[in-house]
Amino acid sequence: MVITWRAAALTALGIVPVVLTASAGAVLLWSVAVLVVCVVDALLAASPRAVSLERTVARAVRLTEATTSVVVVTNGSSRALRGIARDAWPPSAGAEDNRHALSVPPGESVRLTTRLVPSRRGDRQAGSVTLRTVGPLGVAGRQLSIPLPGRLRVLPEFASRKHLPSRLARLREMDGRAAVQVRGEGTEFDSLREYVLGDDVRSIDWRASARSTDLVVRTWRPERDRRVILVLDTARTSAARVGDQPRLDASIEAALLLGALASKAGDRVELLAFDRTVRSRVVGAAGPRLLPALADATAILQPVLVETDWPGLVGAIRERVSQRSLVVLLSTLDPSAVANGLLPVVDQLASLHTVVLASVSDPEVAALRAGRGSAAEIFDAAAAERGELERLAATMVLNRHGVDVVSALPDDLAPRLADTYLALKAAGRL
Amino acid sequence: MTTTAPTSVTTTVGPTTPAAAPRTTAAGALRSRLRSWRWPVAGMLALLLAVLVTSVLTPERSLTRFAPDNPEPTGGQALAQVLMDQGVDVTYTRSVAEAIGAAGPGTTLLVANDYGMADDVARSLLETGATIALVAPGATLLAAATSEVAHAQQSPDATPTTAGCTDPDARAAGTLTSRGGGLEASDASDDASSSAPVLCFTSDAGASHYAVFTSQVLPADESASTGPVVRALDDAGPLTNEQITTDGAATLGLRMLGHEDELVWLIPDRPVAAAEGGGMGDLLPPWAGVLFLQLVVLGIVCALWRGRRLGPLVAEDLPVTVPSSETALGRGRLYRRARAWGHAAAALRAGAAHRMAARLGVPRSAGAPTMIDAVSRATDRPTEQVAGLLYGPPPADDADLARLAIELDQLESEVHRA
Repeated sequence: MVITWRAAALTALGIVPVVLTASAGAVLLWSVAVLVVCVVDALLAASPRAVSLERTVARAVRLTEATTSVVVVTNGSSRALRGIARDAWPPSAGAEDNRHALSVPPGESVRLTTRLVPSRRGDRQAGSVTLRTVGPLGVAGRQLSIPLPGRLRVLPEFASRKHLPSRLARLREMDGRAAVQVRGEGTEFDSLREYVLGDDVRSIDWRASARSTDLVVRTWRPERDRRVILVLDTARTSAARVGDQPRLDASIEAALLLGALASKAGDRVELLAFDRTVRSRVVGAAGPRLLPALADATAILQPVLVETDWPGLVGAIRERVSQRSLVVLLSTLDPSAVANGLLPVVDQLASLHTVVLASVSDPEVAALRAGRGSAAEIFDAAAAERGELERLAATMVLNRHGVDVVSALPDDLAPRLADTYLALKAAGRL
Repeated sequence: MTTTAPTSVTTTVGPTTPAAAPRTTAAGALRSRLRSWRWPVAGMLALLLAVLVTSVLTPERSLTRFAPDNPEPTGGQALAQVLMDQGVDVTYTRSVAEAIGAAGPGTTLLVANDYGMADDVARSLLETGATIALVAPGATLLAAATSEVAHAQQSPDATPTTAGCTDPDARAAGTLTSRGGGLEASDASDDASSSAPVLCFTSDAGASHYAVFTSQVLPADESASTGPVVRALDDAGPLTNEQITTDGAATLGLRMLGHEDELVWLIPDRPVAAAEGGGMGDLLPPWAGVLFLQLVVLGIVCALWRGRRLGPLVAEDLPVTVPSSETALGRGRLYRRARAWGHAAAALRAGAAHRMAARLGVPRSAGAPTMIDAVSRATDRPTEQVAGLLYGPPPADDADLARLAIELDQLESEVHRA
């Protein structure tokens, strides 16, 4: 049973007879009267047990976008259903205004729509639906919480998609350019066309020009149908907070942008999320199906507090691909993690594939480095400086092993990685 | 974790695809609620049972001063226990009427801490015919018993005193230390009709701690021609559990209370003064009490109204929160605690040198002389100064380190300008 403000008001009204009679009996009598009214009203309320519920919720929504959870309440009792319903969701599902006034005649249904604006990536499980029905007087009623399962998958925000148009433009530029600056083995002959001012004279095809009246240049196009393997490291180092989000989230942003770009460039993209075991995998998706698959696979990833099993990861990559590919490791440049984890196995990877390590750097460390306010701040600055030097040393060691390193602040990592990819493509190194 | 099969991809983005709609009725809700309430109710019952058992098993104790069932330092349980072991039948009461009923010839009536006793009550106590023992008697009771002994004008010191009298109990005790106000023979003691009171444990100031005299009140049933013997001790302190073993207190207490086989131990309740006014209650209107009652009821109703939540909370599984800069901060604290000025300075110098080298195009493999040369040319500073800054001795304290850091910053900014 549950009482409303009217029951409190009814009790407060009892002050008048109590003061007039000035007897304790009046208090008792009035309390009993209020109790009887409440019990009768609650008994006359429609039973929430006779109600059946049905939930409809979107399967997935992108972070920061709004969606709705619809609950259909069917009144199976013989009385009119009046009261409140609450559609409960965890706080990060962003269910605002999840309380709905109910007024359902017997046998009829009503749709309750709750707006959800999620604030965190991952799967959100709905809580129970609570029904509070009140009697005809509105003094008291009955309440029941009914578990009603529902799941909303919150996909990564993909805020870095704003960088996609400019990178695609550069890709097209590369595609149609007369000649790529470096004419390595990776560029493929495409066609011949007339010379225009500004073309590299080295790309003039003299033999073809001799047959024609104009100067003719050879055009090249970047190689296509290469494999790009995006490896997300979900182990303990990905749990560290950079800014206001885990390192993993910035890595996911970078993976999504690179995936979208490489897919447009005609490469085949695969994704592997790994710590000690494969957490998530996207294989064989191409064209318009790739990005949704990537978003869905990365939505549920959470950092796991274990150390990355690098030999196992190399094995998992070898299992997937045998031909030369671009392997993008979205991990960290933490010196100890690199020295103990990646370095022992890096040659196995780099001998077969082009390897890029993308790491999120911390703006707070940069701020620490500039601190000169007090002795303590200078010590912190020295520590941050030492950390940077060690990361630099790790970068140099990795470079010697043939690994390209991209280290950038969380917001810059995705575009920087995309640029690195374009540069590798332009250089024919894929 | 989901693992997408190698060739089939079914994921879609966007809020368009409705998931399978689950359908629930409330059939099992009551059962589940009963199940969820089972343990809290069982816990409450167990707690209630535990409280009952404890209250039954715990022996009765009181915190009343000098009560025979009070084991605290201020209680009288030790004395009462020894008296009982010696065969004295101790009856403890806080009611004067009960004490009068239990006391009679052949019993000892102990009256302790009786401040505020009415005169007629005091007289009826003395009329029982029992041997009287007074511990810390009030002025009314003492005056009712005798006119020959009164409270001393000046309180004696709390120093040990010797018996110094003819009373055998006091002589057996020998010495006594009491913090009481003292007793002395009053001016009326020259009355020859009664035997003179015996005053013992007299201090230097002339006040005694212990007095033995005959009561001037005859028994009500006139069973004796003289009043009973009264033994008065000015303070309960020496007979309490804390002090009973000091000096001759134990001897005095046992002998003073052990003259008869039965002992009635009376510590009167504080009398309620009938003349006391109604206080605040008189100033309020008659309906104030019931209004308060109704407001209490209203408070309970409001609590029930506001206290019921609309369904249970939904928990959020929160991610781990470890700031990434934590390791740098931790290392900074280690440097500071170890006073590692040298290490800190080396890090700052190496960082500055690395950035300047990158800017000036000095190769990474170049040695210190090349570096110093390049920087001094870029900044127009003497080579010794640059060498001192970049490769000089480690600083020796906080101030040195701060100075070095700021000078390195300046040097670096000049290189950037160049």
